[in-house]
Amino acid sequence: MYYVELLLVGLIWGCTYAMMALGLTLVYGLLRILHVAQATVFTLGAYIGLLAANHTGSLAAAFVTGALAAGALGPLIYRLVYQPILDRPPFVALVASIGVLVAMEDGFRLLFGPYGLSFENNVWFTTTYSFAGMTVNLVQVWMVVAAVLLLSAFAVFATRTRAGVAWRATVSDPAMAESFGISVTGVRYVNFLIASVLAGVAGVLVGLLNNLVEPGMGGVIAYKGLAIIVLGGLGSVPGTLAASLVLGVVESYGTVFLDKLLDRDAIAFLFLIVVLMIRPHGLLGAR
Amino acid sequence: MDYYLSVATFAALNVILAIGLNLISGFCGQVSLGHAAFYGLGAYAAALASVAGVPFPLAILGGVLVAGVFGIVVGFAALRVREDFLAIVTMGVGFLFLGAVRKQPWLGAEMGIAKIPSPLDKWGYAALAIGAAVALVLLSLHVRRSWMGRAFGAVAQDEDAARTIGIDVAGYKIAAFFIGTAAAGLAGGIYAHMTQLIIPDTFNFIQSITILAMVVIGGIGSTYGVVAGAILLTLMPELFRFINDYKLLVYGALLLLVMRFSPGGLAGMIQRAFGVRLA
Amino acid sequence: MAIVPAVKSATALLAAAALGIALAAPASAQNIRIGFHAPLTGFAASDGKSALNGAELAVEQVNAAGGVNGRKIELVVQDDQAKADQAVPLANKYIGEGLKLVVSGSYSGPTRAAAGVFQNAQIPYVSAYAIHPDITRAGNYVFRTSFMGEVQGRAAAKFVGDIMKKRKVTLVTLNNDFGQSLSAGFKEVAGKFGIQIASEYTYAMGDRQFGSIVASVKRDNPEMLYVSGYFFNGGPLVAQLRAGGVTAPILGTEGFDTHNFIKIAGQAAEGVMITTSLDRDSKSPEMRKFIDDYEKKFNTPADMVAASTHTAIKVAANALAKAGADDPAKIRAAIAATKDFQVATGRISFNELGEIYKAAQIQVIKDGKFRHQATIDDPQLLAPPTK
Repeated sequence: MYYVELLLVGLIWGCTYAMMALGLTLVYGLLRILHVAQATVFTLGAYIGLLAANHTGSLAAAFVTGALAAGALGPLIYRLVYQPILDRPPFVALVASIGVLVAMEDGFRLLFGPYGLSFENNVWFTTTYSFAGMTVNLVQVWMVVAAVLLLSAFAVFATRTRAGVAWRATVSDPAMAESFGISVTGVRYVNFLIASVLAGVAGVLVGLLNNLVEPGMGGVIAYKGLAIIVLGGLGSVPGTLAASLVLGVVESYGTVFLDKLLDRDAIAFLFLIVVLMIRPHGLLGAR
Repeated sequence: MDYYLSVATFAALNVILAIGLNLISGFCGQVSLGHAAFYGLGAYAAALASVAGVPFPLAILGGVLVAGVFGIVVGFAALRVREDFLAIVTMGVGFLFLGAVRKQPWLGAEMGIAKIPSPLDKWGYAALAIGAAVALVLLSLHVRRSWMGRAFGAVAQDEDAARTIGIDVAGYKIAAFFIGTAAAGLAGGIYAHMTQLIIPDTFNFIQSITILAMVVIGGIGSTYGVVAGAILLTLMPELFRFINDYKLLVYGALLLLVMRFSPGGLAGMIQRAFGVRLA
Repeated sequence: MAIVPAVKSATALLAAAALGIALAAPASAQNIRIGFHAPLTGFAASDGKSALNGAELAVEQVNAAGGVNGRKIELVVQDDQAKADQAVPLANKYIGEGLKLVVSGSYSGPTRAAAGVFQNAQIPYVSAYAIHPDITRAGNYVFRTSFMGEVQGRAAAKFVGDIMKKRKVTLVTLNNDFGQSLSAGFKEVAGKFGIQIASEYTYAMGDRQFGSIVASVKRDNPEMLYVSGYFFNGGPLVAQLRAGGVTAPILGTEGFDTHNFIKIAGQAAEGVMITTSLDRDSKSPEMRKFIDDYEKKFNTPADMVAASTHTAIKVAANALAKAGADDPAKIRAAIAATKDFQVATGRISFNELGEIYKAAQIQVIKDGKFRHQATIDDPQLLAPPTK
């Protein structure tokens, strides 16, 4: 049972990673940018969601406002930061993105204080379900539900809608897509919007899960997210999902059984390095 | 005076680190997000040697070699994965180094290594660090002009094309990693003896990013630009001490603004303003 | 063309820098200036804020009571980001500015790095709450007004074994110098108090999700848990342990000693005990005044970090009053001679290494407040090292 519980823990972690990493994959797939500043979008979503929840007492309001705030910030970062330097080497966008992350982390501290904020009434965290000796709380349940729902919704969008087809066409060949009358700029905004909304929802959920929203909360997920999208095969959506879940499970077992040797981040990256040495283009990456 | 001396020494160490990374990433085009790990490897190896009674010059040399040998290992990894994949692998190397050191009692774990013998005084370390930095700058300028520099450039441009014209791509990649990481090891050895104390956190991902920022802000590929970038980013926290509370805000904003308005870094700015291309 | 905005922003920054330097010029030549560094930005900014608050309150109280020999004291504050390599230039800057006394309101990394610099320059240096044993070993100019990590860990072992009478204990340790030294102190004397360490798990500073540790603790089923960390990782950890169904009593550390811990852990914080140096039910007037004044001035309850920097500044001011403010050697001697000096965290007397002995306080969280649970007063067990 213990091993099953560790598996469950790992899958829940994996869902958190997936919500974060899918956005990174979307941005990378379209623009070849390692969008570290996604962590900023995530943190903003968490802060706005928390303020809304504590103000109105409604978690629904938290998710709506958190997603809206994040959904506004992501495209804004694209317009102000990335768009003017798209034709530059990828390094340039990466360093600019790191600049956004560093500056905004301090900005959050100045705006909301260094101590972090907690939910006044975090009912989801205290509502727990026990079965077969295992316990999960409602936030964890919602994390899994949200990951499954939002990612399925994305799959439907990508395969069944006109906008989704335009998006896929632009990913595979922007010039060709443009010649078919697709607005590449529009696709990029939609892309950032989807990535950011996912990050915002993830931010509120992680805030609830930790019962703490703090200036640096995006930091870990920013670099772990990069590891995941590379592990999955850069730009591959199914690869990202697989990598998120696998990495969550590896960390869950690793933090207990490799505790004397390596810490959690090192375990994740060791796994990444081993996989890439065997499959240089990631789990599901194509040549 | 001591203050200026310590700032100058740190600036020189950062020049060594940045020039080393520029050799790997600027000249040879191999992205590395884990340079601090080699800084750390050099520091730990030199510190352990010195604590064990090895004479100072040999301890420093030991740090250089250990960092360089691990650099060769990563160079081999760079033969297998490319570009953004390589960037994340090197980032992983940084986390792996840190995560391993943090847990090893014989490396001092989180408590670090203290009481490292210190054979020089402040002037001695400043002279050593500045001398090493100058030597590396000269080496970097020389490499750029040499056949090796052209081969690096060819690998950076298009490695498949380089291979077809008979350039030993694998050999040059490994050479670039060896020289660049050995330089970081040198900086680490000097740092360890100067502060007589090392802890894992000094060599973390933020440090790797800071070194990368020095290279990119200076102008990737330009030796003089990178020197300027390293000095500027060392001085910046010092200049901005008065804005204690907004320091990181300004730092982040500066990274963003330089990249946004002058993606070629300081070297790019000079090229546009004066039409001079910095070596 | 794009260079124009960049040049403009650079010019603006330079102008701001020049202005800042002008503003930073000494406010008053009359005041006695004490260096004070803390992590005001970066991951430890929350403790840095409390540290600065505590120090500022002490300065205000000293000045309100007439200052030091008729002169007011003032802090020269610098940010160290809790980074060791930032601390060396910072320490040299204080020395270059001619400061005669510096207080650390920071973690062990920067404090250790700076201690060596101050020792070499023969400038007295007081560490408020950094726990690493090497700090005072830098030399006779370096002092510490709080517990070392190992000592606090030993007090925890005595409480668990002797008072709670628990035998089978699991450790959940934060993997940094603070957590590792607490765990080392606990394990060192655990056997003496009949404690058997059932298991130990560690986690990293940035971890907030502990599912795998919770599952493992449940399986190990210990009688008690000894958990180290800070409020920002310990809060989520304790909440997740309780939500996961772990009911064994939890003993935490002084890193949890802030109301922010209770805010994060919520109901799960009830009954959690901690080892600390702050006794909120103390009758000592210094303590009461500190707690009341702090809450009045900053509109938030006092915590251990603030109490520690408050203590360090009071000790510094006390020495300045005796030795004058000009000669570092005399100031050092006056600090070393501090005897039974009553401050918010107890009575301060230094041993030959510059360490203090203090009884350890065990506080318990009841109805959302820290209350007195026990005092571990064992001069032999909690003796600081002398060399």
